[in-house]
Amino acid sequence: MALLEGRGLSMAFGGLLALRGVDIAVEEHQVVGLLGPNGSGKTTLFNILSGLLRPTAGQVWFHGTRMTDLPPWKISRLGIGRTFQIPRPFAHSTVFDNVLVGVTFRPRHRYHCPQDRRRETERLLGIVGLAEKAAANANELSLGERKRLELAMALSTRPTLLLLDELASGLSPKGREEVIRFYARLKERGLTIFAIEHSFRVLAQVADRLLVLDQGTIVADGRPAQVLGSPRVVEAYLGEDDHG
Amino acid sequence: MRRLTWIGAGLVAAALLLLPPLSGFHPYYLYLVSTALLFGTLATAWNLLAYAGQISFGHAAFFGLGAYGAALASLGRFSPWWAIVLGGLLGAGGAGVIGLASARLQGAYLALATLAYAEIWRGIAHNWSEVSGGGAGLIGIPPLPPLPWLPLDFTRGRAGSYYLSLAFLLVVLALFAGILHSRLGLAFAAVREEEERASLLGVHPLPWKILAFALSGFFSALAGGLYVHMVRVVEPDLVFSRYFSILPLVMATFGGLHTLLGPATAALGLYLVSELLLQPYVPVFHQLPYGLALIVVVLYLPGGLAGLLPSPRPSPHRGEGR
Amino acid sequence: MSLTTLAQTLASGALLGCFYTLMALAFSMVLSVTRALNLAHGDLIILGGYLGYWFWSGSGLHPLLLVPVAGAALLPLALLWQWLFNRLPEPKELSSLVLTFGLSLLLQNIMLALWRGEYRLIASESLTGSIRLGGLRLNQGRLIVAAAALAAVGGLYLALTRTRWGRAVRATSLDREAAALLGINVDQATRTTFLLALALSGGAGVLFATLHYLYPAGGIELTLLAIVLTIWAGVGRLRSVLVAGVLLGVIEALTVAWSGPRWRELVVALLLLASLLARSGGLAGGRSH
Repeated sequence: MALLEGRGLSMAFGGLLALRGVDIAVEEHQVVGLLGPNGSGKTTLFNILSGLLRPTAGQVWFHGTRMTDLPPWKISRLGIGRTFQIPRPFAHSTVFDNVLVGVTFRPRHRYHCPQDRRRETERLLGIVGLAEKAAANANELSLGERKRLELAMALSTRPTLLLLDELASGLSPKGREEVIRFYARLKERGLTIFAIEHSFRVLAQVADRLLVLDQGTIVADGRPAQVLGSPRVVEAYLGEDDHG
Repeated sequence: MRRLTWIGAGLVAAALLLLPPLSGFHPYYLYLVSTALLFGTLATAWNLLAYAGQISFGHAAFFGLGAYGAALASLGRFSPWWAIVLGGLLGAGGAGVIGLASARLQGAYLALATLAYAEIWRGIAHNWSEVSGGGAGLIGIPPLPPLPWLPLDFTRGRAGSYYLSLAFLLVVLALFAGILHSRLGLAFAAVREEEERASLLGVHPLPWKILAFALSGFFSALAGGLYVHMVRVVEPDLVFSRYFSILPLVMATFGGLHTLLGPATAALGLYLVSELLLQPYVPVFHQLPYGLALIVVVLYLPGGLAGLLPSPRPSPHRGEGR
Repeated sequence: MSLTTLAQTLASGALLGCFYTLMALAFSMVLSVTRALNLAHGDLIILGGYLGYWFWSGSGLHPLLLVPVAGAALLPLALLWQWLFNRLPEPKELSSLVLTFGLSLLLQNIMLALWRGEYRLIASESLTGSIRLGGLRLNQGRLIVAAAALAAVGGLYLALTRTRWGRAVRATSLDREAAALLGINVDQATRTTFLLALALSGGAGVLFATLHYLYPAGGIELTLLAIVLTIWAGVGRLRSVLVAGVLLGVIEALTVAWSGPRWRELVVALLLLASLLARSGGLAGGRSH
């Protein structure tokens, strides 16, 4: 059974159909990439999977538990973490406190001693390379640093499934290399990853499987090489440059 | 800079401690400064709620509930100390109720809801005459008894309530400092900064909001209970007066939102300027400092209100579909 | 309650509702053009009432003649209000609320200083007595107030729909940026809005002073009433405001008839809280941010 499963997910905003009956399944310990042109419904799908939106139709299961109607904080406690394409830290709190929130309030692997929580926070900041920025306010960080903070925040709840929304976009080529290494390290740790990236190249290097979303429907699903060669995908991306 | 702040705070605290003997236990000045200290507590309590991102225009509700609760308990032959605690619990409950009811409201609409809530309690106090004494209120509230183990000069009458107000303010400040560095403070700040993000990190915002309301309401209500035992009467238009909603807001924003000592300092400063400098000479304008302070905060200190104003955030469905 | 008394209460409430409509329109005009909530709205009306009382006791003129006088007297304040509101930081709903909470305090203080908190009523003999209409006996003062309020609302409607500056105000209230792009002078339109709104408030104050005793702290209730009506009717919908105003007037009249006038303020505050909770969002229908 898949770790995360969504069936018949539809989402309508007024008259606009953002998703039309999407089926997805993410197997444990895999990296699954989600591709699609702007406006194809990728972020909407993530918002449903993390509980920010309730789908107009369809159901989502995680570990076999139906979670469609659960609020975000319960979904987080089931073990799903996410990042945002445009980072959304607690702007007036320190980088350290931004990560400490998730470490403090997670239901599993909870540390009862404040000392341990601080140590765990420092460890996470070390992983994303923000250790020396711990005392800075989140709104003082550069975009690249904010993206790393996003990742540290998503990891702070000890999720088993990570939803990563365009971690590599907007970064320099060097930053992108780094993100690719992150993906590999996270996978090594046994995390399951569902990732939106705008760039084929990033996903082709890290993903075990690719899904392609176009106008609210899945138009391709398979191994990266297979998917990137399919005519439907080329068509969906016609006129779209790989500038992500 | 930080050191200077603490030295300054220490000097102010020492001056406040020595004021009664230095002023020759002058009843009027002691009463005045006690009231200023209570406003300091009220402003700190207001600031605690604002720290969790909740804007109240109705702290008079909590202050008044504490005042009525304490007055009724005291008249019902509870010891004044227990009466004040009971009043505090009533205020905490009343604050929790509006926190729960208005959980989905934000910013200006939460502010309006709390304003209406305070007006509702004022209306109830006016109309529920059997309990509240109606518009005339309740009289004959016993004074606070002097504490037995201290010299009488310092614990009876005005000096007694003065030191009590001072001790109470210091305790609330210490608790506030503790909260800032605890799990509570972390959760409050997260809910304030980005409620949705906090919930994605496993923080259920609602109980924290209610807790912030209840704590802030508790401290405000204790101040109310202390106040009625100082003035020894309670009337709807006195304790549910809008002043107890407006003044803490002015003092906290003017003194520096989310800071530990700012609100209490501003409370002492503004209140004493208003009562000592303006009231005797130009009584017409004795409220002017508050109005001016608020105008300054809103118009000239964009940072002064920054914590009140939620940062614009993309709504969930705007990320796509451009 | 007999049927006649009921009918009489309803009619009298409806007449009061016409006054509420006038009062709420001034509030919602400012809201729709500037997105600012003027918590000092009621205090401005009370100020208008006190000024009207002052002119009336000095001159003995018919109160209706003093309506425009009190309206004109508030015009300088309109410019001050506009100057302050122009400088509000975002989000305007909240910052305006904080600012006007302070202004309301200042106004109350000034009124308290000038009129010493005494209760005042414009008890003109020309407004007493009653008129028989079918089986109903209607208070002449209320009839005159309702007629004057409706005339003002009608005048406002004509001004907003038929004149060039009125259309500029309406366009600015619908979409400020679009209006500016169309070449409308939005600053001018904003000034017009404040001038109109405060003139209406001042005039409404005189009408109010003929119905109710004035006291310096009485403004908040009027502000809350205006907010309730704005929530019920939505921003900028003149006819809905009239319907909502009449409904609120009737509710108030029934409350007073059944349980006495002291419950009025409580009912207004309860209506506001309930309306806010039921709406759980912005006055204009959107979310608050």
